[in-house]
Amino acid sequence: MEIKKIAVLGAGVMGHGIAQVCAQAGYEVNLHDIKDEFVQSGIGKIKKFVGGSVEKQRMTQAEADATLGRIKGMTDLKEAVKDVDLVIEAIVEDINIKKEMYKELDQLCRPNTIFASNTSAQSITEMAMVTKRPDKFIGMHWFNPAQLMRGVEVVVHEKTSKETRDTIVDLCKKLGKEPGVCQDSPGFVVNRLLQIWYNEGLNMYDEGIAEPQDIDTAYKVGCNFRMGPFELRDLVGMDIGYASTTTHYRELMREQFRPPRCLIMKVKAGDLGRKTGKGFYEYK
Amino acid sequence: MKIATVSIIGEGELADRLKEFLNKANLKVVATGLKADYAKQVESDLVIELALEDLAAKKKIFKVCDAKCYKETILATTSSNPWVTQLAVATKRPEKVVGLNFTKNPFEDKYLVQVVRGLQTSDETVQAAKDLITNIGMTAVKLEETPGFILDRVIASIVNEAAVMYSSKLASKEDIDKMMKVCVNWPMGPFEFADNMGVDRVVEVLDLMTQELGPKYQPCFLLRKMVDAGWLGKKTGRGFYIYS
Repeated sequence: MEIKKIAVLGAGVMGHGIAQVCAQAGYEVNLHDIKDEFVQSGIGKIKKFVGGSVEKQRMTQAEADATLGRIKGMTDLKEAVKDVDLVIEAIVEDINIKKEMYKELDQLCRPNTIFASNTSAQSITEMAMVTKRPDKFIGMHWFNPAQLMRGVEVVVHEKTSKETRDTIVDLCKKLGKEPGVCQDSPGFVVNRLLQIWYNEGLNMYDEGIAEPQDIDTAYKVGCNFRMGPFELRDLVGMDIGYASTTTHYRELMREQFRPPRCLIMKVKAGDLGRKTGKGFYEYK
Repeated sequence: MKIATVSIIGEGELADRLKEFLNKANLKVVATGLKADYAKQVESDLVIELALEDLAAKKKIFKVCDAKCYKETILATTSSNPWVTQLAVATKRPEKVVGLNFTKNPFEDKYLVQVVRGLQTSDETVQAAKDLITNIGMTAVKLEETPGFILDRVIASIVNEAAVMYSSKLASKEDIDKMMKVCVNWPMGPFEFADNMGVDRVVEVLDLMTQELGPKYQPCFLLRKMVDAGWLGKKTGRGFYIYS
């Protein structure tokens, strides 16, 4: 199936970037959010990004104008999805809100419209099963910032059809992205493996083996990771990290994913990382 | 304590490179080679042992060095195993025994040195060893003796989880490797790490971690089967991938 028109639901951190990538690749995009100020904020960020690209001569003014011209901001859900081939959902990470949204979309969209969720934490299977089109339901997990990160996890569940999978894999390539296919499972591939990478570093600190700085240095100098686990926890935020690790622990039910004590204590102390000026390191 | 003279016990690429680094920093290398005259080691401030990974053989070397060297001389093992405390008790100077584990970066010509403190190693010994490493232009990190040290421990853990995911058919090994590189900028995917490190070494580290730290580190059965089949990675021409 060929995708021509796409609706991106949610104009936040991920949604606006996804909309931009789709528009840049020539697709017509309806960018939807529940309030007009959210939509305008998302479009404002896209304008800023493409403006920067023009300044750096990575894009011509004509290309920037065409990109922006292909994005229509809207708050009317029915209008946003009525004639699209694909819905990419990037709304709040709440399974109940998402399920309600999909029930509604199932009514509003054409029967052949594909639903792709950008969730990083919720079950694709669980969401698919509230619709009457589980075969057209798939995960499309992007990474932040969507404009720059090359990889997209394409998450299939038991009932995703081969055609849906092929269509989305093909779309990723047309968007200039590198798709990787995986089965629906907590954390998919990337976040699940990343938890181990984080936890093993933090566990060593908990065990009194080494200090954060030595562990980070070992990761970076020993095998060229760009940042160590403590630096990345500080950058992303301890509260976000704690929530993610806890979700993996709960869903996968394996000891490897148990949140490290030092992470729990940082959250309790309010030392959430760069955003509070202190995490595992201090920032001025 | 400032280190000016060093003995290297052992041969091979690392011994040669180490000599280069030491000479470049104007340090005197007084004795080298496994069959080197142990008597010469009395002149050195630091002895670095690079013998094969055999605890009994290493203990013997440490005993001889302990008898021959000045009582101030620091004795260092480059072992990848957590043997510092065991080697220390073979000497009469346990506070002067330390681990110096060298890892060459897989992409660039630079070394990470994990300075391993045994139970009895003194702060002064750790500091002197760390200073020397910094002085010769390598990067040093300090840690307590633990299975796999920092680097092998984290890589073995990543490989193990990836092997579990691959075994359960969550994704292909190629896609798992690719995703980690393109989605979160890892320098290599987990299976590439495994083939570089050696699948046998991964299992060895996981077994040791399981023994010392608990059952959550138990190696995925796929890894054991690969060891049985001789699919050890680049060094045998086949691991997760085939090399020609």
